[in-house]
Amino acid sequence: MATEMIMPKVDMDQETGTVVEWLKTEGQQVKEGETILVIETDKIAIDVESPGTGTLAGISAHPGDVIPIGTVIAYILEEGEELPEAPAEPPPLPEPVEEQAPGVKDEVSATPVARKMAASHDLDLSALTPTGKGGKVTKEDVQSALDSRKKPQPDGKDGKVVASPAARRKARLKGVDLRQVRGTGPGGRIQAIDIENFQPSSGLPAPSPARGGEKVPMVGMRRTIAERLTESYQSIPHIQFTASADMTNFNQARQDYNDLAELRGDGKVSVTALMIKIVAMTLAEHPWLNSSLLEEEILLHEEINIGLAVALEEGLIVPVINQANQKGIRKIAEESTDLITRAREGALTNPDVKGATFTISNLGPFGVEQFNAIINPPEVGILAIGATRPEVVPVEKDAIAIRPIMRFTLSADHRVVDGAVAARFIADLKAKLENPIFMNY
Amino acid sequence: MREITYLEAVREAMTQEMERDSRVFLIGEDIGEYGGAFQVTYGMLEKFGPERILDTPITELALTGAAVGAGLIGMRPIAEIMFMDFTTLASEQLVNQAAKLRFMFGGQSTVPMVLRTPAGSGTGAAEHHSQSFENWFVHVPGLKVVMPSTPYDAKGLLVSSIRDDNPVVFIEHKLLYKTKGEVPEELYEIPLGKADIKREGKDLTIVATAIMVQKSLEAAEELAQEGIDVEVVDPRSLRPLDTETIITSIKKTGKVLIVHEAVKTGGFGGELAGVIAESEAFGYLEAPIIRLAGREVPIPYNRNLERAAVPQVEDIVEKARQLATLKV
Amino acid sequence: MGLKKEQAADYLLQMYQIRAFEEQAEKSYMAGKIHGTMHLSIGQEASAVGAISTLNESDYIIGHHRGHGLTIAKGADLDLMMAEFYGKENGYCRGRGGSMHIADVKGGNLGANGVVGGGIPMAVGIGIGLKMEAENKVLLAFFGDGAASTGAFHESMILAVLFQVPVVFICENNQYAMSFAAEDWTTSQKIAAHGELYGLASTSTDGNDLIKVRDAVGEAVDLARKGGGPSLVVNDTYRWRGHSKSDRNRYRTNEEIQEWKDKDPIRRFQKYCLDEKLLTKKEAEEIKEQAYADIEAARVFAESSPEPKVETLEEGVYAP
Repeated sequence: MATEMIMPKVDMDQETGTVVEWLKTEGQQVKEGETILVIETDKIAIDVESPGTGTLAGISAHPGDVIPIGTVIAYILEEGEELPEAPAEPPPLPEPVEEQAPGVKDEVSATPVARKMAASHDLDLSALTPTGKGGKVTKEDVQSALDSRKKPQPDGKDGKVVASPAARRKARLKGVDLRQVRGTGPGGRIQAIDIENFQPSSGLPAPSPARGGEKVPMVGMRRTIAERLTESYQSIPHIQFTASADMTNFNQARQDYNDLAELRGDGKVSVTALMIKIVAMTLAEHPWLNSSLLEEEILLHEEINIGLAVALEEGLIVPVINQANQKGIRKIAEESTDLITRAREGALTNPDVKGATFTISNLGPFGVEQFNAIINPPEVGILAIGATRPEVVPVEKDAIAIRPIMRFTLSADHRVVDGAVAARFIADLKAKLENPIFMNY
Repeated sequence: MREITYLEAVREAMTQEMERDSRVFLIGEDIGEYGGAFQVTYGMLEKFGPERILDTPITELALTGAAVGAGLIGMRPIAEIMFMDFTTLASEQLVNQAAKLRFMFGGQSTVPMVLRTPAGSGTGAAEHHSQSFENWFVHVPGLKVVMPSTPYDAKGLLVSSIRDDNPVVFIEHKLLYKTKGEVPEELYEIPLGKADIKREGKDLTIVATAIMVQKSLEAAEELAQEGIDVEVVDPRSLRPLDTETIITSIKKTGKVLIVHEAVKTGGFGGELAGVIAESEAFGYLEAPIIRLAGREVPIPYNRNLERAAVPQVEDIVEKARQLATLKV
Repeated sequence: MGLKKEQAADYLLQMYQIRAFEEQAEKSYMAGKIHGTMHLSIGQEASAVGAISTLNESDYIIGHHRGHGLTIAKGADLDLMMAEFYGKENGYCRGRGGSMHIADVKGGNLGANGVVGGGIPMAVGIGIGLKMEAENKVLLAFFGDGAASTGAFHESMILAVLFQVPVVFICENNQYAMSFAAEDWTTSQKIAAHGELYGLASTSTDGNDLIKVRDAVGEAVDLARKGGGPSLVVNDTYRWRGHSKSDRNRYRTNEEIQEWKDKDPIRRFQKYCLDEKLLTKKEAEEIKEQAYADIEAARVFAESSPEPKVETLEEGVYAP
């Protein structure tokens, strides 16, 4: 029997994987355990090994394709084996929250993949002929309906696709099937921009052909961020609280730590590192901000794992400092420096970016005074740090002084965090920032 | 830098080369006292005398052949055929002899001659004094064909043509004679077989020759207002042809419009389109290769008809716009 | 003009070499070893040798498609010439020209030509160049009665006179263009009269009499060298073979051919040499043998020479 190669699930909450690059090609020999494919999930590139030894054949997923996990994407054939006629059905996906309410009986029976595909192409499931087990509409049924949907075929009476040479070239390089692309050129001719804008299973409308400017494909990290944040913004009621802190003592403390670090030959303690510690210590006393909203309950996390937003050229990545409340400042400084460096080199691994319970985003170094961040689900809070700037402040007895002032904004999930809870956290945080020694109290 | 006309640039190239190299001489009809039909050789008889400015009666075939023979024996003649239309009379010596002697004799000889000829329409001279046959000569191995579009190009290319040891057909568009441009005073060469990007752009490539270069540049200015950024490539030499510059440009823009005055059927545009289609640029084409060229008609006398017979700025603008917005 | 013994021997040898070469070329062609076609000048040896005998080595000739005799008379290497006929790489033209386009530029032979009258305008230019060079060199420009009707000829006569070029134009009237009889429109005298009208010093002569040809051309050459401008000498002669190899000789009679064969220029010159006691019979025979031996050696050379390589096809179109 031919060995199936499926789009693997490597993350708990992963629903799809994006094919980045096949390291072996159709017809080549592969060995079990040999890395033959690179995929991307969320923001990390993953090597995928061959499930068997034999000839790689029947590749049906190409670079740029976003494939639901569990979908068969290739076969490993042994001597004498042939490709199976109809590829096997992928295992059913867990029902996403937005699905139709259970108990609605006029629902068409279809596999989750088929349902998703049909939805994104505006296909009426009930109009399709199901060929799957138990009368289910399968992915293939949807695909053949899509194929036969008339795409403008100018003169192409023999079913040939009309595309410009540039479009053909791009399609070849990206592994896009021209028959699936809708052309915007004269008479429906497929142009290169149509290939660039082509998204196999997305409901996004093709943008109008832009003139000029660089076009960046919406794949991988960028795509994930887009999807994640859209979901977050649309489903989480955000409340935002801003306060300012006098950082005089904070700066002094950091200076003291750095003097010590220098003496000992340790790495520097960054503003961020000290901030992480203080926030973690504050969260320890405000567990509701260190929680996650599950289906029916709120999980107050045992660990306090601080995610640190790091800006990259291609987007944003959030490595995690685990149990930050229990680690010393030196350790936090070491870890955060290492994570940031590896993030910039693209060398983060999956564990590095998993498990955050609260996130900090510091745009102070860019001079941003104040901003509101969007929460990273399944967290319920995110802290946006602004720049520390000298400001004129009133001090005792109607006098004024110039102090280094920093604004910070907490965004919290109002379903879990009430105003007072958030306010108390903010007040506490402010106190600790203005007097770091309080964090050990 | 001083500005001179295209005509003056041609004269200067010849004069300075004749001063530098005693083997260079001119032969043609009415090039002596008359100064040439377009006054290109005005003043040269006085300067160089009748021994080097050979004025002839109406003998296109013989005077062209004489240039071939003189070249064979080691001179560097510049023959002038008054209108390109009359190269028909000279072509036996140009095509059968000049182009072939070197090859035919197994490399024993060279024919280092230049045949200069004014071409093109727009002067109301009609059917027999307005044609452009460059592609006939591009078709002949052994000949080189040059078509400069600016005074700067004209001088540098003519100097190179004179110094080239091969027969060169040097085509001057009549309407370019009065155009002005910056031209260095000293002698300089522009290598044959090297194109010039007259205007850089990224949306569309126009490859144009002779006066169509000027018209394309005008069209490009208009199109820039609409946000269409046109790259204008001037091949300058048709044979040998700088395919690299053209291909690089098309790879960048993905769209190409070829503009020339000569009749479209059998014109240089067809040759160029074939070169492009066979090249690496093919895989980068977003649209068909479009040619805008002379209509299938001898040049008529009536002024409006004459104008309509060849591409004008508005024609170039329209075609370029269609191509840039992928309406074709 | 009296000849010296060496000259007589030289000229007779050349005539025999021409005859032998033409015959061998014909044989090789019929044996399928030479391809294309060829235009034999058997019967015209006196015109070639007589005319060219008046030149210095540094002078030039330019010819026509029936120019094997001219090529030999101008001192070509017979081996290289035969190799060219065989289309071999080491022929004069690297096998690219063949019989109709043979040239020996270093030897002052500026080439045969496939276009009737093609060389005449060039002759004017060569003359212009020679005049500019001012080294007292002259050019003999050969053409046939066929070319005498072309525009090229008439235009060139005008320019030749206008520029007073040091060129002797020699018309080898062999009575037929291809099949068109010269006498239907002209005669040697008439052609010479054309020249006269244009302003060239012109004459016509018995082209099968080497001495007469030599005298007429010699005078013209002297005139040119002195700066006296161009001349036209018309040699009345005949070709024994057809125009080319495909000629069926339908346009002339065997009687006519025989009549001219009786005026064989080689036999006549040999008789002259014997009569004038310039050569003995034995010497004449030895010369003949020598000629045929030379041609045989050339044949062997040509047949063993290498073919051009196809990869070199596009070489030599342009000068670097």
